[in-house]
Amino acid sequence: MEQLYGIFLYTVFLLTMGGIYAVLTLGLNIQWGFTGLFNAGVAGFFAIGAYTTAIVTTAASERHLGGLGLPPAAGIVAAMVASSIIAWGVGRMCIRLRADYLAIATLGIAEILRLVLKNEVWATNGPRGISVIPKPFEHLAEPWNQIAMLLLVVAVVAVLYVLLERVWHSPWGRVMAAIRENEAAARAAGKDVERLRIVAFILGGALMGLGGALMAHHIKFIELQAAEPITATFLVWVMLVVGGSANNRGAIVGAVLIWTLWSAAEILITGLPPEWAVKAAYLRIFLVGLALQFILQRFPDGIFRERRLRTVSSPSIKEHSPCRKCC
Amino acid sequence: MQKMLLAAAAGTFALHTAAAADDITVGSAAAVTGPIAELVVDIVAARNLAASHVNEQGGLLDGDTYRLVTGDSQCDPKAAVDTGTKLVNVEQAVMVIGPNCSGATNGMAQSVTIPAGVVMLSDTATAPSISDLDDNDLVFRVAPSDAYQGRSLAEFAWEHGYRMLAVTYANDDYNSGLAAVFATAFTELGGTITGNEAHEPGKASYRAELATLAAGDAEGLALFAYFGSSGITILRNSLENALFGTFLGADGMMDNSVIEQIGADNLRGNIMLSQPASDTEGASYKAFAATFDSPGAPFVTHGYDIAFLAALAIEKAGSTDRGLIASALREVANAPGMVIRPGEWAKAKDAIAAGEDINYEGASGAIEFDGNGDVAGIYSLNMVGDDGTWTPVN
Repeated sequence: MEQLYGIFLYTVFLLTMGGIYAVLTLGLNIQWGFTGLFNAGVAGFFAIGAYTTAIVTTAASERHLGGLGLPPAAGIVAAMVASSIIAWGVGRMCIRLRADYLAIATLGIAEILRLVLKNEVWATNGPRGISVIPKPFEHLAEPWNQIAMLLLVVAVVAVLYVLLERVWHSPWGRVMAAIRENEAAARAAGKDVERLRIVAFILGGALMGLGGALMAHHIKFIELQAAEPITATFLVWVMLVVGGSANNRGAIVGAVLIWTLWSAAEILITGLPPEWAVKAAYLRIFLVGLALQFILQRFPDGIFRERRLRTVSSPSIKEHSPCRKCC
Repeated sequence: MQKMLLAAAAGTFALHTAAAADDITVGSAAAVTGPIAELVVDIVAARNLAASHVNEQGGLLDGDTYRLVTGDSQCDPKAAVDTGTKLVNVEQAVMVIGPNCSGATNGMAQSVTIPAGVVMLSDTATAPSISDLDDNDLVFRVAPSDAYQGRSLAEFAWEHGYRMLAVTYANDDYNSGLAAVFATAFTELGGTITGNEAHEPGKASYRAELATLAAGDAEGLALFAYFGSSGITILRNSLENALFGTFLGADGMMDNSVIEQIGADNLRGNIMLSQPASDTEGASYKAFAATFDSPGAPFVTHGYDIAFLAALAIEKAGSTDRGLIASALREVANAPGMVIRPGEWAKAKDAIAAGEDINYEGASGAIEFDGNGDVAGIYSLNMVGDDGTWTPVN
């Protein structure tokens, strides 16, 4: 019975982490899937979001900037604003670069952000990180605190999904696909390509900041080890590619599936004797790689393909389209 | 694929359940992959050695097997929270030892083990912020907090006859933390701090700051800095301008380039530096070193101690109840009681069965937990020796 209850709690945790990764993957989907912007610096925006909410929501400490003690909701909004501003700045500098050059530029910028956060010790406590970040619903009794956190993350993902589906099927979404497929044609049709790409970059960056903020609240602690490129950039890319880029459902399924593989693979190896434990940890990484190979061979376009855009959209959607004037 | 995984996972769970009758599981979280993977290999081996000592000498409680399940915490708080959740919930660990790295320890403690009421005992986390966690007495560590070094140096200074000192520190987390602890501890001992000034590392000269500090009647300067970024410059400025002649410092200054650049003759008898040390002459260390291949590797003594302490706590609790184990941990580690050294499981088991108090004296040190679940570190004091290198003094 206790065993089953434990597995239930682990499943709740697994889905919460998968949901947070889904937010990051949806952000990358706006940039890469919709618009074709190769952002290799997801970790940078993730870190900005996580640190912003940590500074805004923690109690006063002599170790780092902050002490505002605001509720997590305020921290999450601040995180999205901060990462949007950074994304705007990065976009202004780099957005004209072609795909592969943009990848290199964003990779470099993510590393700069990481080093700044590491060295501005007065603000971030440097390599020691920021501790005792409040977690939503943490004062509820177990398991309700964890279930409530999961529901919060699920609600965020659901709202984002609905909004992004509408965006994707709006005229704005079609312009984005046009820019991705043939930038010269979009330009010839009179679209302000540069501005539209910056907007997509900012939207994606804001979601990555949101993902970082949710992660910081979920694990109650943030330091730069949590924003290492392997788990904060490349894993997100794998999730999007496996799920199917330019498909919001694919982004979500890819995130949950890959996170489940990544996390649950460890359970399979714990039955081995302790002498094997150190080697088995690498076996787990091998297993994940093998599963990826399998999925990508089986579904070369990702599990969910990009859906053909509907040509008709309802007037109400047009009304709310953020870019009607420029389209 | 999903079905395969689920089936395999279900199979693993079934195995665990079947084995649970005579296994007692303790989670062993370690950064097996990641930036310190090479160090961790030996630490995990030391933990497993402790488990095999227990199992060879009668096992836990009624002959149950002490089973350590290794989880990979990767030195990353995300990964530590993930693996901690699995150890506590899926493996149903009665206690967690590890993880490595302060950040991973902090994350796992706050979001997994404290809410679940599981006691955690780390071998490598040294960040002072871990002492401040609101932990219901569930977070322990056998690696000394960096803050202890400041106190230790203050005691050295007092013993060596210093009563009035000026303090300057590089404005970073590590040095400012050390300086604050040092100043408080020195004042508590009865000493006087004549001036306490931060300095920005990396400047070309510190004459102005030092002149201000020298205006008090200090007998010496306590200097908390990294030797390269400001420490050597401050020593040179002080000596050239005859502002200060004697210095105290911590391990950030501990480098031979200090002696090379300032000159052994200028420093001999005028500077004392503290540095973490382990008591390699102690009986406990020797008992451990006799059974382990590389006893000198970093933190392996700590790794052995946490795994052995976990077993003692379970034995003392007399059950696999997480709450009882948590409250037994301090009892088996702290004095008074019959002294137990590494490897002496059979002796400890008999003593506990006879209702005696025991006091584990670990390979890494005496291990007396304070109210925060921290231990005091062992530090050595170093001066410039006759051969022009840093030499420990007694």
